[in-house]
Amino acid sequence: MLKKHLWKFVLLALTAMLLLAACSGGNDEGEGTGNNTDNSGENTGDNQNQDKGKSENPVEGRDGELVIGVPGDPQNWDPIDTFLLDWSTIATSVFEGLVDRNLDLEIQPGLATEWEYVEENVLQFKLREGVTFHNGEPFNADAVKFTFDRLLGEEGAKGPQQANYTAIDHVEVVDDYTVNFHLKYKDPVLITKLAGYGAVIVPPNYIQENGDEHFNNNPVGTGPFKMTKYERDNVVVLEKNENYWKEGLPKLDKVTFKIIPEASTRLAELQTGKIDIMKRVERSQTQAVEDSSFLSLSVAGTPTVYALRFDTDEKPLDNPKVRQALNYAVDKEAIIEEILGGYGNPISTFQSELSFGNNPNLEPYPYDPEKAKELLAEAGVEEGTILDIYTPGNDATFKEVVQAVAFYLEQVGLQANIQTVDANTLTSELMPNGDAGHMYRMGWGGWTLDFDNTAYLLYHEGEFWNPDFYDEKVEELLAAERATVDQAEREEIFMELTERLYELAPQLYLYQDMAMFGVNDRVKNFQTPHDDRIRLENVEVE
Amino acid sequence: MIQYIIRRLIHTVFVVLAISLIVFFSIRLTGDPVAIMFQAGEPTKEAIEEVRENLGLNEPLIVQYGIFMKQLITFDLGESFRSGLPVSTMIAERMGPTVLLALGGILVAILIAFPVGILSAVKRGTAVDFFGRIFSLLGISFPNFWLGIMLIIVFAVQLQWFPASGYDGWKSLVLPSIALGMILSGILARLVRSSMLEILNQQYISTAKSKGIKDWVVIIRHAFRNALIPTTTFLGIQFGSLLGGTVIIEQVFSWPGVGRMIIDAINQRDYPVIQGGVIVLAMLMILVNLIVDLSYSFLDPRIKVGGSDK
Repeated sequence: MLKKHLWKFVLLALTAMLLLAACSGGNDEGEGTGNNTDNSGENTGDNQNQDKGKSENPVEGRDGELVIGVPGDPQNWDPIDTFLLDWSTIATSVFEGLVDRNLDLEIQPGLATEWEYVEENVLQFKLREGVTFHNGEPFNADAVKFTFDRLLGEEGAKGPQQANYTAIDHVEVVDDYTVNFHLKYKDPVLITKLAGYGAVIVPPNYIQENGDEHFNNNPVGTGPFKMTKYERDNVVVLEKNENYWKEGLPKLDKVTFKIIPEASTRLAELQTGKIDIMKRVERSQTQAVEDSSFLSLSVAGTPTVYALRFDTDEKPLDNPKVRQALNYAVDKEAIIEEILGGYGNPISTFQSELSFGNNPNLEPYPYDPEKAKELLAEAGVEEGTILDIYTPGNDATFKEVVQAVAFYLEQVGLQANIQTVDANTLTSELMPNGDAGHMYRMGWGGWTLDFDNTAYLLYHEGEFWNPDFYDEKVEELLAAERATVDQAEREEIFMELTERLYELAPQLYLYQDMAMFGVNDRVKNFQTPHDDRIRLENVEVE
Repeated sequence: MIQYIIRRLIHTVFVVLAISLIVFFSIRLTGDPVAIMFQAGEPTKEAIEEVRENLGLNEPLIVQYGIFMKQLITFDLGESFRSGLPVSTMIAERMGPTVLLALGGILVAILIAFPVGILSAVKRGTAVDFFGRIFSLLGISFPNFWLGIMLIIVFAVQLQWFPASGYDGWKSLVLPSIALGMILSGILARLVRSSMLEILNQQYISTAKSKGIKDWVVIIRHAFRNALIPTTTFLGIQFGSLLGGTVIIEQVFSWPGVGRMIIDAINQRDYPVIQGGVIVLAMLMILVNLIVDLSYSFLDPRIKVGGSDK
């Protein structure tokens, strides 16, 4: 009796579950058809024959529209409030500066047509005429003055951008389309800095009428695209700026950025054609992208470089011979090949070959364990000396790199003790106080693509990033390089400086990082940017 | 009852005070937000100092805490360092997706766990029970990260039934809800099974059966209803903690929920967002607990909240 009824119950429950499953299945198809009529036939085909489906480009019905999957949301679009790569990836299409740095990293006219020093420390810009902001407001000398007054004033003081432009004393309006920048001191990389980030030109009336908080979420610039929708941590939609000053550009009607923090999810979206371009393909994913018949991997060298920075106060690293020995001891080529899958380049000093001031005559330290042992013996370092290496816990790739380094150190008779710590604690607490062991991971953006910023912040005595290193000759050269805007003279100084830094080896120079994008073959004219700043005005889709 | 609620609400004030102290000081022990604000270009010492000054981080800690508490009393959670938006606005923006995902997950969990748990209990010791228990064990032991990725591979990449990510219509809710519900359903099924077993052994069940009431009526109306009490507690508390966001699920499926916001804020050391977020979540948790307690008296009229000795 009991049993019989129980079976009824089981059957009932099972039927209910099946029904549920059937219903949801039916709904899906209905939804699919409703959403995208072109796609429904294709989908069925996929289900029946997955191999065939996979080899066909799944993107359909997105004419003139591009979808890009990016890992992060800057949270704030006001140029003076952020200093994040995630910002520049999207905002480069919305805002423009007086000068422009193109995809090959050359400086060219932007909102200014020409510029020159009219006096010592007075830099004059002639502005482009007939340009309007996305809200219809005209671009002119007043907009430039407003932008820099804001950046250098109270509003700018709250953000991380003001510090980049402290060389500017004030901006003077000469006439509607001429401005003079009065400088406090010479800044050899000022022109480069004007191409990006905090120096992009913003609309005065719009900001004054709507307030800063509104502007944070509803940015307006002069760029090829205007932002029409922003849902935090979800989606950003850009639409064509019909009045863009470059004739016939942009070519796309609409660009959607989906914010997808997880790399494997981004890849899934790329493989299913839901996105056309995937920013930041992980090294473990490159094969999957290359194997696909409709995707390509697009790679570019970045200004970002990695090294293990030595604490030169710690024995035995106070001795340059020991530091050189460690540079000889590690096989950088093997690390790049085995751990980075070949995506990286060895470096001779702490800058990439993209950087002004990189010395092409310097060969990266070769792998020479015998020489390393010799140098260690000369310096009197005992066999089995323990060296502490600090690395941030959130960087899985670098953890592998550090393990390889530890292996190589053991090969020359040293012992490595790897400490994994929170990334932010390492940067803001341990590193500046000299508490990060004998050496620690240092990744460096080098956004100005000029060795000036890097060298000054890393090797000038007393800087935040330099708790311990000091060399008189380096100080001299740094001061000399900053005293002139003559690029040829600066280059000469940098050659001397790099030789000195190569010899002193304050770091174990490792490699230059690569930017990897996954791109659907229907996308034309896309070039992976060196600096994360995607340029879209020439991009087309099939 | 009213008295009881008031007493609980007074407790809340002290809990919030304690939490504010812990959060405020503990996040300040683990690093500074300023250095990482310059991700795209490394700052000078002067730049770091200036931003610190402008964010009010150079004030003595106790003064900063005073300012924070003064704001808190007027229900002002401050402004995010990163977005410049009021923290309350940011939390409000995220609550919708989070509640939706929590409900979706719980619904999936119930749909799976109730039948499995009831069947396991009723067919105790049989193959059905065995598979039921294996199933719950699987549910408990799946890492939700892995499960999320598997669901994406099968249902988004291969079958293309649902999108792999985003917050856009009901379809995007399906996969994260299943991922979340599967995890929950493991524990829930076990709970349903054990409370069912306990009740099936009670005398009133035999009485009901001997009165000739149909078996499934006995199981559902008498046994299952009473088994609901521990289950409700569990679901209520789970719901409370799900409101705190399901960080991993939100991360895998790019769901714009509260958990992701707070994790991002922790990574960026966005103090106001961490403080405000944690306090709001703590208050929600307390509220949910209170509602769970009150719901007992509806499920079982014998239980009286407020604790007289009867």
